[in-house]
Amino acid sequence: MMLRNQSLVATWLERPGTRVVANCAVTAFSVLICLLVSPTRLPGMELAGIGPNWVLIWVVAWSVKRSMFQGAIAGLVLGLIQDGMTADTPTHVFSLMTVGFLTARIRKQRYLQEDFISIALITFAMAVIAETVTAVQYSFENSRTLVEIWTYHQLIALASAVLSSLWAPIVYFPLNRWWQRINTLDQQS
Amino acid sequence: MFTLRRWWDRHRLQAILLGLSLGAALFLRQTDGAILYELYRVLGLPFQPNQKEAVLQNAQIEELQQRLTEMESQNQQLRELLGTVKNEKKQVAIAPLVGRSADHWWQHILLGKGSSAGVKTGDYVMASGGLVGRIVNVTPHTSRVLLLSDPSSRVGVTVSRSRFMGYIRGQAANRAVMEFFDKVPDVRQGDVITTSSLSHLYPAGLPVGRVESVNMNKSPAPEATIELTAPVSFLEWGMIYPHTKPLGAEAEPNQTPDQ
Repeated sequence: MMLRNQSLVATWLERPGTRVVANCAVTAFSVLICLLVSPTRLPGMELAGIGPNWVLIWVVAWSVKRSMFQGAIAGLVLGLIQDGMTADTPTHVFSLMTVGFLTARIRKQRYLQEDFISIALITFAMAVIAETVTAVQYSFENSRTLVEIWTYHQLIALASAVLSSLWAPIVYFPLNRWWQRINTLDQQS
Repeated sequence: MFTLRRWWDRHRLQAILLGLSLGAALFLRQTDGAILYELYRVLGLPFQPNQKEAVLQNAQIEELQQRLTEMESQNQQLRELLGTVKNEKKQVAIAPLVGRSADHWWQHILLGKGSSAGVKTGDYVMASGGLVGRIVNVTPHTSRVLLLSDPSSRVGVTVSRSRFMGYIRGQAANRAVMEFFDKVPDVRQGDVITTSSLSHLYPAGLPVGRVESVNMNKSPAPEATIELTAPVSFLEWGMIYPHTKPLGAEAEPNQTPDQ
């Protein structure tokens, strides 16, 4: 296994093209997994009928060590997809773009070395921000009354922030390791 | 020109990837994520409860339903004899619940049957207990249901005892708020609420829920809190009924108030 792994690394070192394809495939696959998990409510994974916000977790994991532009683009792409999966008024693009942008803006590696708790904290804050952005969007529409929106917002923001922050490491760690490895290979070649 | 060329040389890969991912995202958005839901359905198949088992377990319910269908058709015939209504023929598709909303603001459920089983947008969904919602989106093997408990779904309803009318607005979980059209409606705790004949999106007379509490002092019109009778939070199966809209009621499929 180790030997095979090394030969794989060697091929990727020699051929940057294969590396890029593999990187894209893994990234796209992780997005797909997150999208497919979002309609499920696995037992033990929900609070008051609300599950973790997997799409948001992915955007946070992507943006932590990237530029603000890249973070915002990830938010745009996933926001569009989530619009398709649920409903597009109000759009998810704004909330997820804000999340991507802000997560990249924090520039975690400069201030925080430790990984586990900081990721959970960032996800918690971002989930609250994302739900607040959505609630503000609802407030500008006339489909629901303000009281309804903001009482519901409290429930959603808290439940989804708690659950998302607890489940965030599951998405973040494998992806982060993969991207780090690709990064070192990029620098070697 | 030269700088543009140099920029392109340096960022070609990023630009292409960006274009590809944006294109894919737009495509998924335009198709309402149909591919994702189809994939979800296929991957979820091994985890679905066996339909036969469930039917066996629910044999008594089946029997009662059949009796009810019999009664309904008799009722239908009698009404036709009287010349009051000409109703469409009803066909039922029973579909398992395979998922819930991919976002917390919308109260959706995902059923495991779609256009290949004859399900159409606008069909309504019942469960044991009463009305659940209506279908807002179909793919070949899944269909998405907007629940009654969603704040954007509004249904014209009536108090079945006193025939006072109003409409309900969803309130998350299994509650809804009913607003009356009259100032002083005759309504009590425990009254049964059914869809009214003014509703365009649902046929009249479907059971919706029970009155939990009444607030007569509410302005501009009295309100009642309704407990929906269908157990939405632990639903396992849904029955899909076709609904032909009355003429002139071409409503928007998504979130038109229906009063």
